[in-house]
Amino acid sequence: MNTLQFLADGFSIAFQWQNILFALVGVIIGTAVGVLPGIGPMSGVALLIPVTATITSGMPTDAAAASSIILLAGVYYGAMYGGSTTSILLNTPGESASVVTTLDGYQMAKQGRAGAALAIAAIGSFVAGIISLIGLVLLAEPLSNIAIKFGPAEYFSLMLLGLAAVSGLAGKSMTKALLMTTLGLMLGTIGIDAVSGIARFTYNQPVLFSGLEFLTIAVGLFALGEVFKTVLERDHEDGTIAKINRILPTKQDMKDSTVPIVRGSLLGFFIGVLPGAGATLASFFSYMTEKKFSKNPDSFGKGNIAGVAGPESANNAASGGAMIPLLTLGIPGSGTTAILMGALIMYNIQPGPLLFDEHPDIAWGLIASMFIGNLMLLVLNMPLVRVFAKVIQTPKKYLLPIIIAISFFGVYAVQYTTFDLYLLLGCGVLGYLLSKNDFPVAPLVLALVLGPMIENNMRRALTISNGEFSIFFTKPLSLLFIIIAAAWLLIPLLLKMKGKSVVIEDES
Amino acid sequence: MSKTFDRYASILFLLIGLLVVIESQRIPDSAYGSAVGPKTFPLWLGIIFILLSLRLLYETFTYKSDVTDVQSFNYKKFAVIFICAILYAFLLEKIGYVLSTFLFLLIAFQTMERGRLVPSLIISISFSFGIYYLFAKVLGGSLPGFPIF
Repeated sequence: MNTLQFLADGFSIAFQWQNILFALVGVIIGTAVGVLPGIGPMSGVALLIPVTATITSGMPTDAAAASSIILLAGVYYGAMYGGSTTSILLNTPGESASVVTTLDGYQMAKQGRAGAALAIAAIGSFVAGIISLIGLVLLAEPLSNIAIKFGPAEYFSLMLLGLAAVSGLAGKSMTKALLMTTLGLMLGTIGIDAVSGIARFTYNQPVLFSGLEFLTIAVGLFALGEVFKTVLERDHEDGTIAKINRILPTKQDMKDSTVPIVRGSLLGFFIGVLPGAGATLASFFSYMTEKKFSKNPDSFGKGNIAGVAGPESANNAASGGAMIPLLTLGIPGSGTTAILMGALIMYNIQPGPLLFDEHPDIAWGLIASMFIGNLMLLVLNMPLVRVFAKVIQTPKKYLLPIIIAISFFGVYAVQYTTFDLYLLLGCGVLGYLLSKNDFPVAPLVLALVLGPMIENNMRRALTISNGEFSIFFTKPLSLLFIIIAAAWLLIPLLLKMKGKSVVIEDES
Repeated sequence: MSKTFDRYASILFLLIGLLVVIESQRIPDSAYGSAVGPKTFPLWLGIIFILLSLRLLYETFTYKSDVTDVQSFNYKKFAVIFICAILYAFLLEKIGYVLSTFLFLLIAFQTMERGRLVPSLIISISFSFGIYYLFAKVLGGSLPGFPIF
């Protein structure tokens, strides 16, 4: 079967009524998540995993996995849409990938062009979503064909590369990022060792035998950490909401933003494919590119529509691009994709090159549903922009306790232990303290998910080579990955030594 | 960045690293004849962790602390909500989901901002009952709904 045929099959899955519904619910919740300050795409996806797990519990495993991943991915790219709304209307980005949108978006809103800015953001996101999906369709098969030839040594080095990339780009201090990565890997060793069946660091506590649940840790570190931060620090209500007059952009607006949208989409897609670099970097680079190519760069920061169109397309394209390493190689390149991967593993489905062979319905169903989801977002967001703008006004008084309650429900419904609730609260405090002091928490979660796989692949590789570590350096691909991983850590260090500022990827 | 936090954190991380190294020695060797048993990976991680925390400790002596702004923290509000959350976790299985969630939400709402009791009551009742009804009745999930007497 060729790619087109697979894609057609994917569409037949995505067009099943329950999957259309899942995609719709996903993108609506995602937009709300993006709009609400305090919950980013990562905690949004993490919070919904238990809910989807329950809804799909009656279905056969494959169909259940397809449906829930369709919903969760919808939350992910829906959040990228929603994030722009607060940036434009309130000057406060709903998630970090929309930070640059505030520069020109809020200025446009002040000039009474809020509707046009929102509409361009939605159109740009749609175009970007479609472009990144075409890229995904084109690259998925060839990449997974290469990846299928990987042995354990190659996998070990590739995962090392993923961790190095995320650590190299996260946070202000690389020492801190690496500490968090190692901490995540260490937490991942708790529980019964998959290879030998020996219990490690469990101290005879039955709750620890299966290891720490990544979901609990992710929700605690991200969602609760953010809630605790808001309770402790932010007391005052911030900003007034700009009015939305007309929604449709003018012809001139469309003309001015066509090129930035295409450029932003392509740039964002390729940045998204790279591990470690994600939506935040993509939007940032796109903004800089637009400024460079513009005829009058001075108008940036004063309400230039290209400054909204470019970055908003870029961050959406990046979230589509980030699906590629996840689906074809089984390596999540960012915190959010790490959580999506955790969700797939919960259904006993291993993302990676075999995914396209063993579960084509899940892989292609997801890809097809992203087409549909993006279309829904465009259709929904243009008329509903006013409704979503209202969501911003949800009083913190009610929002924060409800986020805590949803986290509790989510964790308890999956784990059924009070131990996980205490762990959740502990991680919440830890998440607040760590991110307040510039210890990035995304590498920790990524390392926690990748840890057991890294260890298993390492041990399998070493068993093949009779304990010779040279196996990682003599296999050409493995060597290449290790060299890139080292470069990823060393180049930012060298740049910093030369006194250049390094852009960081910050995700929440 | 707070220098003191980083310093204490690096010392704490150093101790954790040492603990991991020591404790990984106690993991028994694997039964089958592989050179790399279950203890190798944690042992390495522990060593890397120790080295990184030493590096962080060294860094805290080289940079200047740049914390200047004095923020006001709502310690009281946070403490009340946090203790309530612990109680919520403790009571969840004992008095059931509906009652514990209702109490937690009501107290937390009122802690965030005094007054407007009626909307608080309505939201906490509808959230706790709504989630329980949707999850346990409609979707067939299992939650300890009500106290078992």
